[in-house]
This record gives sequence, C-alpha cells and structure tokens, in this order.
Amino acid sequence: MNGFDPASVAVGDELPALDLYATRAAAVRYAGASTDFNPIHWSDRSARELGLDGVIIHGMWTMGSALRVVTNWCTDPARLIDYAVRFTSPVRLPDDDEGTHVRVTARVTEIVDETATIMIDARIPAAAEGEKDTKVLGAARAHVFIGEHA
Amino acid sequence: MSIGTEHEGRTYPSPRPYTVSRAKIEEFAGALGDTNPAYTGDDESVIAPPTFAAVIAARAWGAIFEDPDLGLALHRTIHADQRFEITRPLRVGDRIVSTLTITKVRRRGPADMVTISVQLDTIEGEPCCTAVSTLVHTRQEDAA
Repeated sequence: MNGFDPASVAVGDELPALDLYATRAAAVRYAGASTDFNPIHWSDRSARELGLDGVIIHGMWTMGSALRVVTNWCTDPARLIDYAVRFTSPVRLPDDDEGTHVRVTARVTEIVDETATIMIDARIPAAAEGEKDTKVLGAARAHVFIGEHA
Repeated sequence: MSIGTEHEGRTYPSPRPYTVSRAKIEEFAGALGDTNPAYTGDDESVIAPPTFAAVIAARAWGAIFEDPDLGLALHRTIHADQRFEITRPLRVGDRIVSTLTITKVRRRGPADMVTISVQLDTIEGEPCCTAVSTLVHTRQEDAA
C-alpha cells in the first residue's frame, strides 16, 4: 500500500497530478483493447468529414486514463462508486512521437458520510503565453468510498 | 429513416453474454497506461478497471447502429458525455449480459443528441454497472 488513509481524507485535499500524452499509438492500442474502431480515431479523412482537423483520441481513453489520478491516490479502484465526464474538446493526435499533453489535476470537494466527491480537471496546457488552456473534460467528477473496507 | 423521440424507450438485449477475461483486463489496463496492481495477480483477486465496462457497452452499442429504423452511422458519431455507476467491479470469469435503452433523443441543428443507457448484469442477475452515454450523431445531408 502507498499509505492511503481513508480516515484522513479532507475537503480541499489536492490529489497528486498526472500527465497524459495522447499519441496515435495510444489510439491504435485503445481501439484494439476497447474494440472501438470508429475511423475518426485512425483515419484523417473520416475525421475531416466530421469537421475535425484530423484524427482524435477516443474520449474513453481520456476518461479512463484521467481516472488514474483518483485510483493512484486511493490505491484500490474498487472504492470507485461512480464517474462522469463531458467531452468538451476533442484531443487531436499529431503524427509525432510526443503526442498531445493533457494535464490532470483533482481535489476533494465534498465528503458526505463515507463518500468523497472528487472533481477532476483535464486540460491541454496553452501552447504559448497569452493563449488559453483547452479543457478536454468538463464536469468530471468521481465519488469514492472512504469507509474502512473497500 | 432517422432517429427521433419516437424511439425513446426502445431497448436492445445483449447479443451474447460477454465473458470477462484476465487477458482483456490486462490489455485494457495497458492501453490506459494503468499499472495499478489490482488489475494483475491471481484470477480470484483481479478486478477490471472501472471504465472496462465501456468494452461491453460498446459491444451493446452495435445494436443501435444496426437498427435500420434509426439511420445511425458510427463514423458520423461523436461521444459527448459518459457516466459509469458502479455496483461492483467486474471480475475474471464474470459472464455479463447487457441491456441497452435509448433514453432520450434531442434534435440540435444538423445533429441528433442520443442518450443511451447500458445496464450490465451477470447472467445470474447480479447488477454490476450502468453506463450512460450521450452521442452526437450528424445526419447525412443528402438523406435528410
């Protein structure tokens, strides 16, 4: 165990942040693992037909990967009660090795009985000073059981 | 044909029970870069990542794309939001049946916002997870 102590969880706690890198390789791998073969994730032509600039990562990859910010913290994924997100902006996949950087942060916003509410923020940091970050998940929220047994 | 509010409430049963395997759990966790030890180990203790339910739900989604009444095409579909309500984690050997229900259809310009709910239960009837999704489907202009 990494020392997660459910009894010490408090409103306002920041969870350790997480950096994700969305690459074409990740999209190919997630398509196979999830069996979601929507061509907008691997065909630039299909993506452009929908008005996108090119292929995008699966929203479910971003959702599933971002949840690591919570499960890394509470260590036992079985503590998760629910998890909801809106996909507010597509994450484009440049044809390079680095991919698109997504920064994930989270904090405890409420505790009711043995349930903690975690609000999650996932954004692509601005490319240059003066520009804005791009939020990729909206209203992202998880409820985690913080009782004594998971 | 295109989807409309008259299709709200339509349900689609599971194609076939889905058997959760350790190999798929490892593959899925790997695709998320998730090294949590809960996803590896012996068959009795391994659980699937919480969003693994998407694998089974996506399989259930096939039914609406194959329903000729709805006129939906996967390549014109974007995922707008997603929610998982977890009753218990999926485990190796679980045989899962899914029931998809179209819960809401709203027209917005050239697109339809379609909310679908997929209930995942074991074949023994134990509820595991509900996966609720909103999909934005752009209608084909020449078919409108």
